[in-house]
Amino acid sequence: MSNHKTPVDIHDEVNYDPTVWVPKAHSHGTKGLWKTFWILLFLTIADIGLYFTLEPGTFRNGVFIFLGVVKAAFIVYSFMHLTFEHTGLKKSIVLPMLFVIYLIVLMLSEAYYWLDLNWL
Amino acid sequence: MSNTAVSTTSTWAGGKSPFKISYGKLMMWFFLLSDAFTFSSLLVGYATVRFSFPQANETQMAELRKEMPFGTDVHEMFHANPDGFVGAMNDRGIFAETQWPAPELVFNHFPGHHLHWPLMFVSLMTFILIMSSVTMVLAVEAGQRMERKKVEIFMLLTIIGGLMFLGCQAWEWTKFIGEGAKLYTNPFGPVTFAALFFLVTGFHGFHVLSGVVINFIIYLNVLKGTYEERGHYEMVEKVGLYWHFVDLVWVFVFTFFYLI
Repeated sequence: MSNHKTPVDIHDEVNYDPTVWVPKAHSHGTKGLWKTFWILLFLTIADIGLYFTLEPGTFRNGVFIFLGVVKAAFIVYSFMHLTFEHTGLKKSIVLPMLFVIYLIVLMLSEAYYWLDLNWL
Repeated sequence: MSNTAVSTTSTWAGGKSPFKISYGKLMMWFFLLSDAFTFSSLLVGYATVRFSFPQANETQMAELRKEMPFGTDVHEMFHANPDGFVGAMNDRGIFAETQWPAPELVFNHFPGHHLHWPLMFVSLMTFILIMSSVTMVLAVEAGQRMERKKVEIFMLLTIIGGLMFLGCQAWEWTKFIGEGAKLYTNPFGPVTFAALFFLVTGFHGFHVLSGVVINFIIYLNVLKGTYEERGHYEMVEKVGLYWHFVDLVWVFVFTFFYLI
């Protein structure tokens, strides 16, 4: 092993030191990032447009939530660079979010039950 | 002996990073995952309460939209006949406690005038936050190319964007509180609407505030040359992850509170 005087190689795969090790950074360019920006801007304007053109109700709410998930996916995959990460990391970040879908289904059915109980 | 050598370098036995990212960045991802669960709970909780109320009566809303088109001077309308204005709303049941208020009637203010500009201010806030996300990601990209000057510029722009967003939110809260909305009262309908609005936008706003503070600390380090010396700008990438997450949460706060 190297002595304390010589600086540690931060990219050293052989003598891996988790406290300093980082993979070599390389840029993927800015073109994709700007594309994501325009998509996010377009979807946000579409949201406002749809708010004033569609009838309020379950369909419109569904469209808004769907567009929200699309925007979130663009932010995570492009801005947060998840596309360029290891498959295992992608899975361990995205799959746990399935619990949230379960929570939504569970709580929505509860909400409609309360609606029936209180108002209808 | 050869077995031991193989096991220490195999993917899950230590000796290298299984996900090929640094320890700090992996922990940032896992923190954000847990934070995503926290925000999901808050937003799903909001949605539950929201959908347990009937929505604003659409025939009466359509009538009101004709009487109060985009750009109407609501201030003038109100002050010409305050009791009549509120009475007319109450007669229609639009701000009744028995139905969820339509967001276009609650969030219709814009700084500088008293005109009815539904959802325009929140669109501006969303645009500011998306823009600051772009400058953040450009700082990260410049960091990957070790271009210190560009990292400095883009970090500073991100901090300014964050402060602008916080200013907008402070203005909106002031307006909403001025109209009588508190954690325990809400002139626009169900109390839970105001309570959850302050809770969730406040929790998100606090994330933005802490994001600005962390960004500022990293910005000072960039100015000092800490990362130039370290040989990589991964710290900028890590705060970038946090900053984009805050933007991502705003997408859903915007969807649930201002659109649904």
